[in-house]
Amino acid sequence: MCDACGCSVVGETRTIEINRRLLEANEEAAARNRRHFDEKGIFAVNLIGSPGSGKTSLLEKTIVAVGDDLNIGVLEGDIETDLDAQRIRAKGVPAVQLTTGGACHLDAALIHDGLHMLERRTDGGAIDILFIENVGNLVCPSLFDLGEHMRAVLISVPEGHDKPLKYPAAVRTSHALVVSKIDLAQYFDFDMDKIRKDALSLNPSLKILATSATTGQGLEEWIGLLRGKPGNTGAP
Amino acid sequence: MKPWEQRTGKAAVHEVSVALGIIDELMRIARRNNARSVLSVRLKIGQLSGIEIGSLRFAFDAVKLEHPMLSSAELLIREIPLRYRCAECGRCFDAGGRIAVSCKACGSRDLKVVSGEEQHIENVELEI
Repeated sequence: MCDACGCSVVGETRTIEINRRLLEANEEAAARNRRHFDEKGIFAVNLIGSPGSGKTSLLEKTIVAVGDDLNIGVLEGDIETDLDAQRIRAKGVPAVQLTTGGACHLDAALIHDGLHMLERRTDGGAIDILFIENVGNLVCPSLFDLGEHMRAVLISVPEGHDKPLKYPAAVRTSHALVVSKIDLAQYFDFDMDKIRKDALSLNPSLKILATSATTGQGLEEWIGLLRGKPGNTGAP
Repeated sequence: MKPWEQRTGKAAVHEVSVALGIIDELMRIARRNNARSVLSVRLKIGQLSGIEIGSLRFAFDAVKLEHPMLSSAELLIREIPLRYRCAECGRCFDAGGRIAVSCKACGSRDLKVVSGEEQHIENVELEI
């Protein structure tokens, strides 16, 4: 028992200065992923957005539009089931399902494991673009760097134009904002100028696209963005 | 679904992931210093870090119990206010913990975050 306060401390006390970032272990794993992507010439895209924002639909349309031009691989993040991976495989593209068993986000270690599983599935064949579809969530995935080159956040028209200001971290850490289901804008009180203005005030270098997986609007611009491979800023 | 087509992770909301990371770090430091126990850990968390302090405390107090060396470790958190500097008029202002889109003084939307993004472990107090 110590003399000062009567607590149960018996030994001497020592303060160790650390000054490490809280998520440094994840950031180190992300940096290893990024090196691996670069060595293999893989362009990695992290898709984040709410459940039902249209991430898987955008991927399906992208796969069809790209055709045989580029080899695509997909890591599908979900809490449960491999339904999304099945949808992607049905398009003829290799996909590994990452089920988090409850976690609201993917982390860099899961991506590392998933990538190796995907590479086994492709028998070492080249992957030009790796899509990582994150768990449907507009909050937690923003904090976890996966080693991606580009982060794209989807916000669909029915969710509303107020989402950038309500979920600022997702917009601040992304390179692109994809406003999905734009064909529904006529049925909703949706202000594209407002979402654009708010998103740019949070992130002035953000690329903003309006897309529809139903009509195909904006898909060409989206694929152009993927081909253009915007600079690797190491988000977040 | 075949086992090689699926990888399963550990369940967690993101504050639990953060708490698990802190605990790994504490165990590493405690072992390296041959400590008897960890008394406290001091964090610096910005209002814009995306980490909910209440959830982190709850998660930390739950997961620390798995390690006897950490069972009485106290989580000390210094919350760093969200402050902006206006690139237009140069004024700095406290945003009261809320995202600001324009300068309170001149209305410019060109704002830089001065503080509030911190998410660090500052130091650890050990019983040797």
